[in-house]
Amino acid sequence: MRKYRKHLVCYGVALLLAACYAFATQVKEKPKDEDVEVAVIVNPTNPVEALSLADLRKIFAGEKQSWGAPGPIALFVRGPGAREREVLLNRILKMNESEYQQHWVRKIYSGEASRQPLALLSNGMQLEAIRAEKGAIALISVQDIHQGVKVVKIEGRVPGMSGYPLK
Amino acid sequence: MKRTLTVAVLIAISVGAPRAHSQDSSESAQIKALIQEVNDLKARIAVLEAKQAGTQSSVVSAQASVKTNDDPPAPPQTASGTETTSFGFLRGIKLQGFGSLGYKASDIKVPENSFFGFRPGSMGNFAIGDVDLFVTSALTSKATVLSEIVFTETDSQKFETDIERLLVKYDFNDYFKTSFGRFHTATSYYNSVFHHGRWLQTAVDRPLVVEFADDGGLLPTQEIGVSVTGRIPSGKLGLNYVAQYGSADTIRPQINRPGAIEIDENNGNGVTVGLFAKPDWLPGLDIGGSFYHDRLSPDNQPIHIDQSIGSTHVVYTTPRFEFLNEAFIIQHRVEGGGQTFNTPAFYSLISQKFGRKWRPYVRYQYANASTQSPLFGDVGLRHGPSAGVRFDYNDYLALKIQYNRTLRRQLATINDLALQLAFRF
Repeated sequence: MRKYRKHLVCYGVALLLAACYAFATQVKEKPKDEDVEVAVIVNPTNPVEALSLADLRKIFAGEKQSWGAPGPIALFVRGPGAREREVLLNRILKMNESEYQQHWVRKIYSGEASRQPLALLSNGMQLEAIRAEKGAIALISVQDIHQGVKVVKIEGRVPGMSGYPLK
Repeated sequence: MKRTLTVAVLIAISVGAPRAHSQDSSESAQIKALIQEVNDLKARIAVLEAKQAGTQSSVVSAQASVKTNDDPPAPPQTASGTETTSFGFLRGIKLQGFGSLGYKASDIKVPENSFFGFRPGSMGNFAIGDVDLFVTSALTSKATVLSEIVFTETDSQKFETDIERLLVKYDFNDYFKTSFGRFHTATSYYNSVFHHGRWLQTAVDRPLVVEFADDGGLLPTQEIGVSVTGRIPSGKLGLNYVAQYGSADTIRPQINRPGAIEIDENNGNGVTVGLFAKPDWLPGLDIGGSFYHDRLSPDNQPIHIDQSIGSTHVVYTTPRFEFLNEAFIIQHRVEGGGQTFNTPAFYSLISQKFGRKWRPYVRYQYANASTQSPLFGDVGLRHGPSAGVRFDYNDYLALKIQYNRTLRRQLATINDLALQLAFRF
């Protein structure tokens, strides 16, 4: 038995290392949904490069309705339950779903806005809408961004930079 | 040596075995990591594209990139200046309805005029009130049509139809928005924001001073004409303006004389100008005022009256909190050296939503008209509190219960209780 002690120690150390390796690979799990950053995208012809959170709130609350040169702002949002919708309500507008609905009913009824933001079922539809509408703006998870849209800086930061506010 | 080799093989097998077990999970983790990396790269590419587009259009972006907000709009980039948006997503008619059912009980001894289906002199009766059909449609990306058709119950359970609003709107940009047609005047904040749908307002009814004129209110609430509004470049102060020119035809029933002839004010064309601020530093705050002027030639009175109305408001609203304050001075100056009558009025309403459904509220209102006034002699002094609770069953249906106490000059105080089921559909 004594002869094998050295080998048993080696075996034990090897087991420990293997366990550590396995643990390390498991720890590197996929990012949680809450950590996925959400980008603000517009049509590539839109000259807007940067917006503040206050601007975003005004835009998605229907208080700012025109870009100026590219014309009216066309708002596109995701339907209830989507990550982008959560970010819109919690980070930008600070409303719940019910308050959001009531806000837009009031806005349209008072004549301040002509239509509610169009709720789309998928990020693919959002991309299509952004490409088609010159004045369009939408929120989209960064992994779903494809060519043909422009990402706007928020508070001077793009997705991926530390301190990016929409996640 | 042999033993050592055996041990080495054993170690290799021992280490390899758990790795083989964890191989699947580590591979899937690697795949996930790679997918994440691809997604990150996609985002980076999009960002780089954004930057590249920015440098390519440096002239445009230098003017418009970081500003975007409160500077005046840049001129259109298109040579023709026409709308180039495809706008295919946005066309269509949208119809929305509002309605209410109510019950009102009162201890009034000498009957007053009643509205929205309530009967004068009744100690308590049910009524439908207004049924409101609200239609909007986009004509182009900048032009829309808005119409509000209201069916109002009379005290004999008959219904009158009114086109309360019919507007063709054209928004050039945030700084210049035009409307043509029949609109609610900007003589008060309440009149601009709350219309006929009872579901939208917290309380059961409107304060008397801002009640619709054909329901006894004191202001010229409707006009046919042109309205222009927009933002004023003012940074974080968030200044806005409104200007309206149009023809009102205010016909007021006398609120303390049921069955009496209504007063037709025969308004001349009226002008309204207003200024209000919605500062960036406190979203929900709205401070401002307006001034209205027209000339009246009331029926059966051989006089002309210059009517001037000044109003000011301080309002703070969030989805859960509401604090409305508005004050008015309505001046009637009889032309040809006649008397001048000033009617001050105000209301204040505060409400807070608790949980998802309950919203208690308190309101106080005041209006003080001279009994000698050629137009508001029926109003006199009226003031008093209202208190109530609104229960939102869901996003479409609300139940309200409200107690009103109205004190009147030289007349008995009125206590009444109102229940209302307000809904949208």
